[in-house]
Amino acid sequence: MPNLRSGSRVSHRTLISTLVFGAASVALYLALFVFSNDLTEMASLVRQGHKGYVAVPILIALVFSFIHGAFTSHFWDMMGLKARK
Amino acid sequence: MESVQFIDLTTTSTVALFLVGFVGGMVSGFIGSGGAFVLTPAMMTMGVPAIVAVASNMAHKFPKALVGAYKRNKYGQVDVKLGVVMGIFAEVGVIIGKHVMVHIRETFGTVGTNLYVSFVFVVVLAIVGGLVLRDGMAEKRGLAETQKPPTNELTPLARWVRSIRVPGTMLHVKIIDAHVSFLVLIPLGIATGMLAATIAVGGFIGVPSMMYFIGLPALMASATELVIAFVMGLGGSILYALDGSVDIRLSMIILAGSLFGIQIGAIGTTYVKDYVVKFVMAAIMLLVLASRFFYIPGYLSDLRLIPALEKGTIKTLNAVGDGTLGFALLFGAVMILQALYRGIREHRQTTEAMETATLTPALASVGLVGQLSPFGRFERFLLASDGSEFSAAAVREGTNMAKRCGSHMHVMSLVASGAEYGGLGESILKQEIAMASAHLDDIKGQAGAAGVACETHVVHGQVVDREILSMAEKLTADLIVMGRRGRRGLARMMLGQATANVIGRANCNVLVVPRAAHIEGRHIVLATDGSRYADAAALTAGELARRCNTPVTVVSVVNPEDAAGRRADTEQIVNRVVKHLANEGVKVEGRVLEGRADACIIEVAQEKNADLIVVGSHGRTGLERILVGSTTERILNGTSCAVFVVKGG
Repeated sequence: MPNLRSGSRVSHRTLISTLVFGAASVALYLALFVFSNDLTEMASLVRQGHKGYVAVPILIALVFSFIHGAFTSHFWDMMGLKARK
Repeated sequence: MESVQFIDLTTTSTVALFLVGFVGGMVSGFIGSGGAFVLTPAMMTMGVPAIVAVASNMAHKFPKALVGAYKRNKYGQVDVKLGVVMGIFAEVGVIIGKHVMVHIRETFGTVGTNLYVSFVFVVVLAIVGGLVLRDGMAEKRGLAETQKPPTNELTPLARWVRSIRVPGTMLHVKIIDAHVSFLVLIPLGIATGMLAATIAVGGFIGVPSMMYFIGLPALMASATELVIAFVMGLGGSILYALDGSVDIRLSMIILAGSLFGIQIGAIGTTYVKDYVVKFVMAAIMLLVLASRFFYIPGYLSDLRLIPALEKGTIKTLNAVGDGTLGFALLFGAVMILQALYRGIREHRQTTEAMETATLTPALASVGLVGQLSPFGRFERFLLASDGSEFSAAAVREGTNMAKRCGSHMHVMSLVASGAEYGGLGESILKQEIAMASAHLDDIKGQAGAAGVACETHVVHGQVVDREILSMAEKLTADLIVMGRRGRRGLARMMLGQATANVIGRANCNVLVVPRAAHIEGRHIVLATDGSRYADAAALTAGELARRCNTPVTVVSVVNPEDAAGRRADTEQIVNRVVKHLANEGVKVEGRVLEGRADACIIEVAQEKNADLIVVGSHGRTGLERILVGSTTERILNGTSCAVFVVKGG
């Protein structure tokens, strides 16, 4: 029984999705480095009792995961990396 | 109390964290387990305090678990209720585990938590790594469990657990249709959570406990574990964040590398033998264990639990530990990349050979490279089946139609693979492949008995519709036959998204067969609006009616608001189609109705006791389909008879 994978042609849709999510991902990581000190500061503020800042790392984790996850998934798809058995 | 220190983010540490995340992700995808057992020690080696390493690891993991759980729920592999209940108890375990960590930190300082985490790592990795190594060796000798065909037999422990009846505590685990007392889940959940809070790898307990205590199949256990990982990961991250221990910068840099790596690892497993995966897994675990082992004397010395060691000795031991961990990461990365490179090279050669073989007959017989066949060519069918009750009718009717048309049938079944399936593990993936192959062999047997030539294909992928379309293109199929609805959830309420996408994007015709449909050649309803798509549908309906000697009713519908102006035109359209079909020798009548197109067509189909509706498709997808709407889709949602969607024009 043959085991196949999908064709290696890159559709416009995949290319556009990769570029859009890639750009969004780069923007997010740039922001992470620009505000790096503020994020460290927030953690120390939490330790001092300002518990409202707890939401920040949780939201960052969710947003980064969705955006960067979508980017890497499209990226490997575009590169034609597919499972086979 | 010692305060938590975050490391400085320099270019070197950022690149190192990204690479650690990348390798950790690869390892996690390859061995089918959380990569935290690599990531946590690696972060500690870089100078990150143990509590921050565990907390930051948790924060990068829970959103990945959410996405994975969501995707695998679409395949019906997740029991959300069980996952949430286990997750809540695991949360209790996380709270206990986290308190233990904080207590140790407050009492002994960071070095105390480093020692505690390292000790737990050494013990857990020794047990799990040893078991995996034993499995791998047994498998190489051909003795492993995974070599046996998949079986649904329960372990004696699971039978006993399921026999426990405590009124008021029983939980219905829908996915296996069994009742389990939630009292059993308490210790399992707590143990999972405690381990997660200590080394950020709860799955080492969660997955086996659901398999052996509750009797969940491995595939469902690993999928349901993603729900537990999300619930306890979210809760754990909040708890650690409340303590100011989550360094979100580290989490996100690790995440950046990990998401790139996990896909490579998961795909790498499909190119190597099972025991190779297990050997690599065991080797990495034991190397990580060894690396942690070298730090322990230093921690013990710092805490004065052993006679003080000289600084030079501690430094040497730490350097050996760093070197061992570095070697473990390098070893894992090289093994996986090598497997992937070899596999891809071999696969390219096979694919090229197959494509040549597939295209040649198509070119010879038709003279066209494309697969567009609005004029009723029925030589090559692609039947998509997931083995569920929703595709049973498609299998039956697809086979019947292939028999009537003398077509060659290709049947495909999708085995889910990809990054979010990293937790599947090689043996589970193998079971899935075995089940899909067995199902396809059944269909091949039925087709053979009916005298239909049939080939089967197990396809790996993540998105069902994309794989179906890709396969149809590869085979230059004339017709795709598939069921109407998805397996679970919202998909039951409406046309399955995969079916809608296939109809929207396929270049060939699509036959959608709802669960209760039987195509017996009673009556065909042909919907027309005078467009070139409808003309293509008329040609196909004529071909089908001629082959099966079936009467046809041609229906066209006008909007009541502009009925007066358009009725005459519409009647002309219907008469043109009726005349054409009559010339083809088909028994045909025409109808022009007022109202909503889909409702009128469904009504005529009911009145005529039709077993097939033929429609042309405008091929709208995405936003256009949402804005303009699709009559075809509404017909599919409202009728219980099969719908033949003709792609033409």
